[in-house]
Amino acid sequence: MTRFSTRPWRALAAGTALALVTAAAQAQTPAPTPAQAPAPIPTAPPPAGQPVDQNRLLKADKEEGNWLLHHKNFGAHRYSPLAQINRDTVKNLKVAWTLHLGGIEGGGIWTHGGLEGTPIVEDGMMYVTDGWGSVYKVDTRNGAGRLLWKMDPKTDREWAGAVACCGVNNRGVALWGSQVISHTLDGRLIATDKETGQVAWQRQVADPDKGETITGAPLVVHNMAISGVGGAEYGIRGWIAATDLTSQKEVWRTHTIPGKGEPGIETWKGPNNAEVSGGGSTWVTGSYDPETDLIIWGVGNPGPDWDNTYRPGDNLYTDSTVALDAKTGAIKWHFQHTPNDPYDYDSVSENLLVDAGGKKMALEADRNGFAYAVDRTNGQFLWATPFVKKVTWTRGINPDTGKPFEYDPTKDVQRYNASATPHPENKVADVCPGNMGGKNWPPTAYHPGTGLWYIPVIESCNRITHETMTTASLKPREFFTGGGPTQPFRITGSVTAIDVATGKVAAKLETPFPLLGGMLATPDLVFTGEPDGRVMALDAKTLAKMWEFSTGGGVNAPPMTFTVDGKQYLAILVGLGGAWDKWFIDSTPELKSIQTGSMLYVFAL
Amino acid sequence: MLKILMPAVAAGLISAVAAAQQPPRPDPGLAVYKKANCAGCHKWHGGGGGGYGGDALSLRHTQLTREQIVETVNCGRPGTGMPFHLRGAYDTTRCYDSLRADMGPQMPPEGTSFLRQSEAEAVATYVADALKGRGEPTLADCTAFFGDTSRACDLYRKETRDGTPAPQTTH
Repeated sequence: MTRFSTRPWRALAAGTALALVTAAAQAQTPAPTPAQAPAPIPTAPPPAGQPVDQNRLLKADKEEGNWLLHHKNFGAHRYSPLAQINRDTVKNLKVAWTLHLGGIEGGGIWTHGGLEGTPIVEDGMMYVTDGWGSVYKVDTRNGAGRLLWKMDPKTDREWAGAVACCGVNNRGVALWGSQVISHTLDGRLIATDKETGQVAWQRQVADPDKGETITGAPLVVHNMAISGVGGAEYGIRGWIAATDLTSQKEVWRTHTIPGKGEPGIETWKGPNNAEVSGGGSTWVTGSYDPETDLIIWGVGNPGPDWDNTYRPGDNLYTDSTVALDAKTGAIKWHFQHTPNDPYDYDSVSENLLVDAGGKKMALEADRNGFAYAVDRTNGQFLWATPFVKKVTWTRGINPDTGKPFEYDPTKDVQRYNASATPHPENKVADVCPGNMGGKNWPPTAYHPGTGLWYIPVIESCNRITHETMTTASLKPREFFTGGGPTQPFRITGSVTAIDVATGKVAAKLETPFPLLGGMLATPDLVFTGEPDGRVMALDAKTLAKMWEFSTGGGVNAPPMTFTVDGKQYLAILVGLGGAWDKWFIDSTPELKSIQTGSMLYVFAL
Repeated sequence: MLKILMPAVAAGLISAVAAAQQPPRPDPGLAVYKKANCAGCHKWHGGGGGGYGGDALSLRHTQLTREQIVETVNCGRPGTGMPFHLRGAYDTTRCYDSLRADMGPQMPPEGTSFLRQSEAEAVATYVADALKGRGEPTLADCTAFFGDTSRACDLYRKETRDGTPAPQTTH
């Protein structure tokens, strides 16, 4: 931990604690030592903040100036009612301040880290993470950003970076009690004291020795931190785990690949053991429905990614949305999007929870190119709409069943549109969407006034080369993908708005690059960013561009907004990392000039 | 005679003492392997393999001679993601008897760092001697790369523990 403070006793407390004292001794306030103290800046001390509890999180939307949850509220709306920055004033939006962060070091197969996090703000205090999981507390008062402390978890870069399929990433923190809860790429859950930046405790949740990593922000429900895992490219068996934040013990761990004798194991046929390499990662933070007490979470692709002959059957619960009883982790319902997936079409995306047309819906924009609505009380299919311009793997989703038209339940291995599907007789297949999907992890946002749901879209195709896998190909910490993609086609993007009441596309703004920034909705405007560095504001109804600023870096993180000292700010992390610049850059050659960086941008009128 | 012999013996003694006191010198080729980010695609063990970004060839299974490896490091592999590492390759220096204009879409990408000839030779020697023809990576391979303390090698320690029969107690 490194601490930065203008208050001398705080600096001393941290230094002393590092050197020798025990946790108990930290409660005492050492006397100021003027000789060691930096010159104080005249400013009021940061407010201690009320402890964060379930009640506050349930009413997160009532705290209009704060952003307490990763997806803003438990329903993953990413909607802020703040409206100082509006249709009329947005032309005056300018950079208020910036702050350089760290975490760009390489490790494993990665030459550098990047930024994908959503800042959390409580009473003017901001908490952000860098790709290696360092947590930064920033005082945003007085029109400037002042770093109060940095908690560096000293992530084991070689250990974790060698088994991170898609970059050195961390998507942010959760708040609970007086602690900041975060993950690291090397599989730890860490609780840090909000005031001092001291690590209170940590627990190994995922195991990089098995190819497991963690990139998502924790979701805190009922005094538990819910963690998801990445690694389906390395032959893992996915899970969602709940850790009690008081006892620091695991409450439950639900595997996304059923074990012997469990429901769903019948969807894994043939001789290969699903428990060994079935995949089913859960690396994007899910949502929570307090009415039903269900945690609704997306599950990723089966393993191996592109060789579905290795794993005959529908392969539950891969490519599915699952609803877990928050108390026990038991799977209450599931809905699968791409059975026996041969395309790497994860369904890890966050589920948007809204009520419309008399239905309690869970909506998910899937990597397979279709936006789905299901009844969130029971998982019953409602509708599906393509949100990308081009889909070739299927001619559509059957409105009666919710399955692709070509899906044949009597067959163990699905071919869908066989010419667009990699398989042993079609070793090289061009498919749309490409394997980054129509939408990847960058989150959607929702406008409760208009019912519009904004999807950050990757308009893509790519080329998949099939490789037949055997159990001999399966080695710990090695890729187990059954082939791989190349990028002979240019990839662009769009913001696509769907009316959740009708399930129809209401507006689309095409963009020259894939929309890797994620969405923020406000009453008049929606905000997003592109990997070429532009941050933009769009009209919430028409998606017409109202404002744009080029950060000079690459945007691969969602914007958020908050108020401090009565003034509205827009914040976004800038630093292109992730999967794109290693695996997909050939589809966007102009982005090769984007430099590595790590910076927080904050805008105001 | 004495005058000639003495310094040689003395020098020999000194170097022997120095060698005994210092840890083995790290392989200069391994240092280049790390510097040039060979591990980014071929992995630390050189096994390469399929995955998210195409298919880097296995350096453990390579049939290339040391001289061919030097050329591949310098010039890259046309039509693939293997980058060139020689400053001026295809511009001031011909590669595979070609210049940039001749390569068209087959032009290999530029490496993250350029290597001097001595570095290209050192890394080729490392690949030819330490990787080529080797079987599955071992704990010794892993610690040679990462040192003794990295958790990246724990996996091989586990395998060693699990794969080795427990010592038999004799009576």
